[in-house]
Amino acid sequence: MANERYWTFCKIAVGILIILTFTPLVMPVGVHKPSFAGMPYSFWVGILDALLLVGLTWIGTKVHPGRKE
Amino acid sequence: MLQTLAIIGLLYVGILVFLAYSARTDTKNSTQYLMAGSNLGAVLGFFTFAATLFSTFTLLGMPDFFRVHGIGAWIFLMFSDAIMVFGLIYVGYNLRKKARKSTYYGMAGFLESNYKSRFAGIVAFIGVSIFLIPYIAIQIRGVAIFLHATFPESLPMWAWATIMVFVMLVYSEVGGLKAIMYSDVLQGILLLIAIWIVGYNCLHHFGGVKAMFAEVEKVNEALLSVPGPKGLFDFQFLFGSMIAIMLLPYTQPQISTRLVILKNVKALHRMAVGIGFFAILVILPTAFMGMYGAVVYPDATTAEFLNLTFVTDQTNFVGAVVMIGLIAAAISTSDSQMFALGGELRSILKGEDKKMVFYARISIFFFAVFALIFALMSSDDLVLLARTSFAGTSLLAPMIFAGIFYDKSDELKFIPLTTLITILVFIASLFGWIPDKIFMIRMDILLLAFLSVFTLVQILLKRK
Repeated sequence: MANERYWTFCKIAVGILIILTFTPLVMPVGVHKPSFAGMPYSFWVGILDALLLVGLTWIGTKVHPGRKE
Repeated sequence: MLQTLAIIGLLYVGILVFLAYSARTDTKNSTQYLMAGSNLGAVLGFFTFAATLFSTFTLLGMPDFFRVHGIGAWIFLMFSDAIMVFGLIYVGYNLRKKARKSTYYGMAGFLESNYKSRFAGIVAFIGVSIFLIPYIAIQIRGVAIFLHATFPESLPMWAWATIMVFVMLVYSEVGGLKAIMYSDVLQGILLLIAIWIVGYNCLHHFGGVKAMFAEVEKVNEALLSVPGPKGLFDFQFLFGSMIAIMLLPYTQPQISTRLVILKNVKALHRMAVGIGFFAILVILPTAFMGMYGAVVYPDATTAEFLNLTFVTDQTNFVGAVVMIGLIAAAISTSDSQMFALGGELRSILKGEDKKMVFYARISIFFFAVFALIFALMSSDDLVLLARTSFAGTSLLAPMIFAGIFYDKSDELKFIPLTTLITILVFIASLFGWIPDKIFMIRMDILLLAFLSVFTLVQILLKRK
């Protein structure tokens, strides 16, 4: 039951990340600051975004209801 | 240089021949030949999925995309791939569950069986054929023009393209899907090595990430943000791309087959996470190459930029390894696609299995010839042509998803016909016979939205 809840959390978190990616929070038009380690804003936030999504996928594999089939 | 390439190339072809021979089986039935025994482990699954997914489009197209349109290219591909990877454990699981209940030879046959309609299978087969053949073609063309530009005195472009198609046909016809998957391990490793050697050298040119982006800022500041200097990366383009790319595992048969033949859910899960990390590792160095090109070769043509960055600026040995890596990237995706088209045809054919496999093998030869002809005629805009292919096959998604998730999809009589009509409308928009935007909305997004809503309404009406 707890796993089902975590799985739902993963799906919601991915949905939120998708929405946020298409907002100025990730892709402000014509803006490349603040930079991080020299990387322009949308690039480093995009890398973080991708890492979070892959991390959620990893968590998803641990809590997916059908993982033991 | 040509000599180094010939030595490494012969070694590469030798390994391919060995793999094809090792995978060769006298039992040429559908399960063994087209589905590789349907018992794929996580490691082999990971390599074959990765090599099939990342093609010339990634290796040649993405550096140029970064160079011309800037860092929004990361969102375009990496973000979309990451969403796709999450989808694998969700939709991929359900696809496997349903497909493995009966015999699966291809998505067309799967839909024919679920919709209990031969027409549904034919629509799926037509859809994937129309949009996959150009995709195969642009990969062959991408590498052929690159090789021709590098060695203008040796062979014409058509000869490079023909050699590649011949190599692909030989080992896939001899060894079947197993040979393709074994070779994918080699090609996936080659691709990663090649892309990182060049990526590292490009980064090294500036002395680090910070210095690289500082130089890019001086040359063209617009490359550092969206929508990029040419305004390509707007919401519609990126959103439409995300949808088309996240649907690839279900709409492009060479990928769906690999999901279905994995031996269990654990293998699927391990493969999905591995692909996520592999995608980051593959796409990141293409950004370095693109930024290098933006600073060093801002006004070069695509072919000039690729040739200068991948060959001229590298040592002979590295240049030769990179070229083999490029050929491997093109071959590993194209062979899987041609083979998958043969599988799709097999899945809707009825009759004695041995005979049907024979027909599928013959059809693979003809698909290869069509792709070769198209390769000699198509344009050089690799990424945008690939995206068109993704958008085209994504129109099959509502029909496929209804087949996967709705148990009574045989009641949805209008879905296959509506799908076919939208495919035809999309093609008409590509040829400019009708507008490619309606009320400022891109035709691919509009058609997919229409099909999705139409399918949902059909399901809701049937449920009532």
